[in-house]
Amino acid sequence: MKYRVTHMTAFVYEGLVGHCYNEARLLPCQHPQQKVLSTELNIDPAPDDHYQRYDYFGNWTNYFSIFKPHEKLEVTATSEVEVSVSPQLNMIESLPWEMVREKLRNVRSGELVEISQFCLSSPSIRVDELLADYAQPSFSAGRPLLDAVHDLMQRIFNEFTYDPDFSTISTPLKQVLEHRSGVCQDFAHLAIGCLRSQGLPARYVSGYVETLPPPGQERLVGADASHAWFSVYQPGIGWVDFDPTNNQMPQEQYITVAHGRDYGDVTPLKGVAYGGGEHELKVSVDVMRLDEQKQDSQKPKP
Amino acid sequence: MQNSAQSDPSLVAQFYATRLEAYDEMYAGEEQPLPHWQPLMEELDQLGKEGLDLRRREAQRLLRENGVTFNIHDGLRGAARPWQLDPIPLIISEDEWLVIEDGLRQRAELLNLILVDLYGEQKLLKQGLLPPQLVYAHRGFQRACADIKPLGKRPLVICSSNMARGPDGRMWVIDDRAQSPSGAGYALENRMVMTRIAPTLFRNCHVKRLASFFQPLRDRLVRLAPQNKDNPRIVLLTPGPYSPAYFDHAYLANYLGYTLVQGEDLSVRDGRVWLKSLEGLHQVDVILRRINDEYCDPLELRMDSRLGIAGLLQAARLGNVAIANPIGSAVLENPGLLAFLPGIARFFLDEELKLPSVATWWCGHDLERKFVLENLDKLVIKPIYRRRDQKAIFGAQLNDLEREVLRQRILRRPHLYTGQEVVSFSTAPSLVGDLIQPRHAVLRSFLVAGDDGYQAMPGGLTRISPEVGQLVVSSRAGGHSKDAWVLSREPVQYVSLWQQPKEDQVLPYYEEPLPSRAADSLFWVGRYVERAEGIARLMRAIFLLRREQRDADAYIAKPYLDSLLRALTHVTGAYPGFVEEEEGEALLLTPNEELQSLMLDIDRSGSLVGVLDSFVQVAMTVRDHWPTEIWRIIDAIQSDWIDEESEKLPGNHRREDQLDQLVMQLVAFSGLSAESMTRESGWMLLDIGRRLERALGLIALLRATLVPVQEEGVQNKLMESVLVICDSLSTFRRRYHSYMHLPTVLQLILMDNNHPRSLAYQLASLQKHVTKLPRSRELQYFNSKDRCLLQATTALRLADPVQLSQSAEGEGLYRDLDDLLAGQTENLWRLSDLLTSSYFSHSQLHQLSPPRQDEDDEV
Repeated sequence: MKYRVTHMTAFVYEGLVGHCYNEARLLPCQHPQQKVLSTELNIDPAPDDHYQRYDYFGNWTNYFSIFKPHEKLEVTATSEVEVSVSPQLNMIESLPWEMVREKLRNVRSGELVEISQFCLSSPSIRVDELLADYAQPSFSAGRPLLDAVHDLMQRIFNEFTYDPDFSTISTPLKQVLEHRSGVCQDFAHLAIGCLRSQGLPARYVSGYVETLPPPGQERLVGADASHAWFSVYQPGIGWVDFDPTNNQMPQEQYITVAHGRDYGDVTPLKGVAYGGGEHELKVSVDVMRLDEQKQDSQKPKP
Repeated sequence: MQNSAQSDPSLVAQFYATRLEAYDEMYAGEEQPLPHWQPLMEELDQLGKEGLDLRRREAQRLLRENGVTFNIHDGLRGAARPWQLDPIPLIISEDEWLVIEDGLRQRAELLNLILVDLYGEQKLLKQGLLPPQLVYAHRGFQRACADIKPLGKRPLVICSSNMARGPDGRMWVIDDRAQSPSGAGYALENRMVMTRIAPTLFRNCHVKRLASFFQPLRDRLVRLAPQNKDNPRIVLLTPGPYSPAYFDHAYLANYLGYTLVQGEDLSVRDGRVWLKSLEGLHQVDVILRRINDEYCDPLELRMDSRLGIAGLLQAARLGNVAIANPIGSAVLENPGLLAFLPGIARFFLDEELKLPSVATWWCGHDLERKFVLENLDKLVIKPIYRRRDQKAIFGAQLNDLEREVLRQRILRRPHLYTGQEVVSFSTAPSLVGDLIQPRHAVLRSFLVAGDDGYQAMPGGLTRISPEVGQLVVSSRAGGHSKDAWVLSREPVQYVSLWQQPKEDQVLPYYEEPLPSRAADSLFWVGRYVERAEGIARLMRAIFLLRREQRDADAYIAKPYLDSLLRALTHVTGAYPGFVEEEEGEALLLTPNEELQSLMLDIDRSGSLVGVLDSFVQVAMTVRDHWPTEIWRIIDAIQSDWIDEESEKLPGNHRREDQLDQLVMQLVAFSGLSAESMTRESGWMLLDIGRRLERALGLIALLRATLVPVQEEGVQNKLMESVLVICDSLSTFRRRYHSYMHLPTVLQLILMDNNHPRSLAYQLASLQKHVTKLPRSRELQYFNSKDRCLLQATTALRLADPVQLSQSAEGEGLYRDLDDLLAGQTENLWRLSDLLTSSYFSHSQLHQLSPPRQDEDDEV
């Protein structure tokens, strides 16, 4: 499936910003199921400095700074990607989850060393008993890893309410758990925290999902949003994605941008501005299918 | 053990009698002091109690006068405490030092190899020499730094180790510092003081020089420069005057000849780091940083940091700036590493670890955790990542419940904890009270990278515990410090940090750029010092007048005093005060409380002590600009007026005497700064601030006193007071004898170009300085600041004192005089704004995304 994703972020200030420094992780990365056809980052006003690199987690990162006084910063990322269906996995035949835990706990060498950091608490996800308690019913003895994770995803989907008004970027997991509501980011953090509480490696994935209008209605441009889900590592297979917000395993409607330990590692656009006072944030995302055929199915939630 | 040789007055004997059950540095378990301690002990015996006490007091005096302090609580008023130095040094023999030095050098080499490996190949993790969790769960492991290319073979430029001697007489390392080891400046200052209070002993003992550490440090930093290798710009980056070891930073910067900067002095553009100065931008090649890793860059590290420089990591990544130590070095400050060092030494160097670490068990491994939990009552528990607010926990000091809580905490996140053996450190003879007593001592030595390995500072900073038997030794906990003398068998060559030019020549002259922040501070020092003087002079006049009031003619006295009181409200700006319509009148009848508040209420905006507090605080931020004598005045003002224990509060002294003394101090400050600061940008800004403030203060005083039309008797009195307050009465008398009339007074204090207190003189000085300040190219000729001053000067020159002294019938004020003064104020304020916007331009930092909360590793 081919898509064009347009992600616009604007900061509108009440006063003049003298200069600013920013870091963007807005452009999708290449991976076996995702081919990046083109990317473009448009920054207005044009940056004075602009450098690009792959960060520690392999995400394509843009650093830029602007020294012209400005009242508005607008960053637009436009990318075309081709996503293919990932191979079907047999959940039941995956390794028992305890075995994965033991492999990572006693890791002394090899590629699992780096994977093992995803078993630990991270700045926004502190592993604690509450998470372990919530996770526990899905992790019965000897259950195959992917089956258990799938169960956890389903439980989060069924037991939590999607509520965009409830959470902000900094809503602590404890509150999410207490009120049983949140948005995609909270559900991803929650699932990751649960997996890590069991000693399992899990990471955060940011990206987009194609949303389709209800039958008979026009597709609205810019009405989409950025999305987040999580990934669990199974030795021998690699990272396997799950979307607890939509209760499904991401397939070709999912466009991956970046991954890390939690949201903090993949913040799409962050920065430091000097001056400007209060600001207003405007975001619009548009995921447009470039293929001819239409698909009419349920509408996933971002 | 009993001492048999000496009789009672011997200090050594007194010390002997109080020995603890620990290895002692001087005796090492023998009956007699070790030979290398003998010269010191003989000298101490000769000195006797009084002599030794004299030395201690001399040391404290020198430290206090040099402004050596340690801030116990960051940023709180009055919390900076004078640095404490024990006049008895710790003595280490050459033979022994060679062993220690060898061990330290090996250790630094290892730490450097670990640093390079963890941010590079990670062989240690992939080959099982370090458990991955120990590194990945440590907050010092900065993933953002993984793609910064290390600077040469030894990116770890400086490190330090805290050492203590165990019961077996061997030195053990307790912990290491790697991100921005502090204390080298204190060690240096201790040494300076010791050589002054005990010059003969110092010379006779053949003590190795500390310069043998600082010279290689300076060489190293020069060689780190990615560009401009011939003459790189090196800065020392400090968190600022509120950091506990600010003195250490300022002192080192001065000693090494680097510009002392704070984060806001630097800015990243074109992928390079620039120093913002009065003269423009200057590229920075090397940063010797004293800011902890996570605060270095608010863009990529802690977003809430106000100390760092946005984009610094990117500049480092591009290789355009060298940072010592590299950001990310905190990963080495992990007590858990100690358990694995012997294996790592064999792995990297094929050597055994020469200097042992205190036995440490990392709780991430099952066996070790079991051991730690079973021995909680004997061990000290340290988290793998040290945070400000966390202390090491001594299991023995906990009750059963606390121990159980600790056990649960460790069990929840075992990989974040280590258990360490409690070592009974050796004691060293220390002067406590008036006795020499044994105190546990910890030695911090410093190492610097060179091409062929690391070089150790011979000796270092020694700290002793304040209480008998107490093992916790830290400056924060009130410990004292000692100099450490490493003796040499041969007389020691004098090593100077001054470089010698290759041939006889006069060196080219470089004017150090003045960072914009420092320029701003100097300007405000000038303003505050002058404002304080103006207020103090006016207050003094008021107190004197109130004392004389009883004898005076009440008819004149009341309006006269009221005018001065109202002037005080105007000059301090502490409105409404005495000028309010109704309550003001009531205050004027009983002014005591208001006067008291204007003088001593530090929280009241505009009060005298408030201005003095601002003066001291802002002077502190540019302390590297003050010669010692000036520093003493600042210190005296702080201890007289600001410190919590200051004695100004009780009414023992007459207010006017206290103010008198203050005026003398402030005048001395101005005089000394005029005599000792070179006429470069810094001095000009200080003087601009002072002149601007003096002009504004004079105008405020005149508008409150001489502008309103008064009875002749009252006006005469007021004119006299104004002349006194403006330090102009003697000049006036000399010139005009007993005449006192308004035009003449105005002529002297407004228009006289030769009188340093007159308005005309202030304007002329401002004009002179403003012309000399660096200006941007497009404004070479005549800029808005010049215009502002020209306008003010012209108006003043055109004014006729006689005309100014005319008032229309029934108007109640000298209208022309008031208009002239109002116009002057307006011009001066505009000048102040223009200076601020063209030279100081600071702007508010603003975050684009909310800082993320850190929930990680609560310990």
